[in-house]
Amino acid sequence: MSVQTATTQTKEIVAQSNNTGKLKIWSKSKWKIIGPIAALVVFLSLWQFVPIMVGVQPFILPKPTDVLQAAVEDWELLWPAIQITVAESVIGFVISAIIGIGFAVLLASSKILEISIYPYAVILQTIPVVAVAPIVVIWFGSGFNSIVMISFLIGFFPIISNTLMGLNSVDKNMSELFTLYNASKWQKMWKLRIPAAMPYMMTGLKISSTLSIVGAITGEYIAGIGGGKGGLGYAITVAAVQLKTPYLFACGIAAAIFGIVFYLLVSLFSHFMLRSWHESAMKGEK
Amino acid sequence: MEAIQNEIVAFHHVSKIYNTGTVALSQFHFSITEGEFISFLGPSGCGKSTALRMVAGLGDATEGKVEVFGQNPKEVIKNTNDVAFVFQDANLLPWRTVLENVMLPLELRGSDKKSRKEDAIKVLEMVGLKDHIKSYPRQLSGGMRMRVSIARALAAKPKLLLMDEPFAALDEITRQTLQTELLEIWKREKMTILFVTHNVFEAVYLSTRIAVLSARPGRLSSIIDVDLPYPRERTDERFTEYVDISSQSLENSSTRRELV
Repeated sequence: MSVQTATTQTKEIVAQSNNTGKLKIWSKSKWKIIGPIAALVVFLSLWQFVPIMVGVQPFILPKPTDVLQAAVEDWELLWPAIQITVAESVIGFVISAIIGIGFAVLLASSKILEISIYPYAVILQTIPVVAVAPIVVIWFGSGFNSIVMISFLIGFFPIISNTLMGLNSVDKNMSELFTLYNASKWQKMWKLRIPAAMPYMMTGLKISSTLSIVGAITGEYIAGIGGGKGGLGYAITVAAVQLKTPYLFACGIAAAIFGIVFYLLVSLFSHFMLRSWHESAMKGEK
Repeated sequence: MEAIQNEIVAFHHVSKIYNTGTVALSQFHFSITEGEFISFLGPSGCGKSTALRMVAGLGDATEGKVEVFGQNPKEVIKNTNDVAFVFQDANLLPWRTVLENVMLPLELRGSDKKSRKEDAIKVLEMVGLKDHIKSYPRQLSGGMRMRVSIARALAAKPKLLLMDEPFAALDEITRQTLQTELLEIWKREKMTILFVTHNVFEAVYLSTRIAVLSARPGRLSSIIDVDLPYPRERTDERFTEYVDISSQSLENSSTRRELV
């Protein structure tokens, strides 16, 4: 009897502590949302009022309202520019993901191939792509193709090096387990090495997602518009020349928002892929 | 006329010297017959794991040779499902569910999908994990993970089960439960088990024979026949006697090493 009452009591206590726990979590997470918003409001108001007080010209430092106004007024120019840059970055990213992962798997499938080729991949990575970009323009002509190519070149290496690292980081015991069951080289690759490399691959993709945008915008600086409509990078160079600083800011902020959204989407994808097993993806659950 | 018992594993004067010059095993001569439960008992660095790995074809002898079912271990691994290995940690693939982990050996050996699943569920039932087939390894306790690992080893119906200190990382209560269960499986499936441990109680509780190894260089120092009926009582007087004998021979082999 006494044991029973004890358990019911514990249950009540547990239930109570659960409730208070939830409240505590809510009050904590509430501040996690309110805090950054408050900081943003403070920052924007300082940005709005300091230039007025000091008397800075809008073409040197435009106020947030100037930027907003420029974005609304030139929306017909801004929106197509955003679309073009998004297309270039996403295509560049997808190509670097496919070729990067494919190439890494190929290199990892043969020790000789990896030893002979990987050092060059590392050396190539150290070449500043901006330095070779004009060659890309010579080969692919100015415009869309070159820009995608530059975006791909910048996004490619983090994926290949991360994937390769993952493919080679397989636990020795697990590898022996596969040997014990007489697994073939490709069975080991598909059932052990590629799944084990998944977290590394996802890290590579996340890094590349932001780099591919850097690549696209840099590409636009160099490869221009090539007959068609220009992207954000092109719009920025034009705005700078014409001293349309508020519009330049609008372009920069648009690029930043795209960068954040793209990164979040790739992170979401990564979370989904690793959902079933990886620790770092599980932390958010509790 | 007594029938000659089948020799399952034979070590013929096996030595193993690593490239670093470490002598892991020296002139190890020992054989295991069908249906035995053998423990290799010894301090760390006595080459007991090295010997076990050779039986699985995961290492070569520097001198002498190891035979499994009268063949080269590597050939046996390549052509049959007769040998299975249980590692010290459960060694499960974290991205696969319990069922998928147990199905892995069958999958790699290319058995058909339906029988694969049936066989896996059967062995999971055997280790008492039927209700957890959809769980992922990280959701299980250490003891349960080891059960999955054992189930995976049993899935392909091996004749010889090799176990490398499988219970060393578990708490005492879980360990004792798993030991009892392992004995039941051994009895029922009529397997031969080769079990590596540094735990004297474990060796006495489980084994039909204990091979005590000494360290640096690793060699066979004594063989103890454990003549006790199963199931064994850990508190039994004769059990304690065997523990004493084993401890002593373990100690002797270690002191001899220290004197040298």
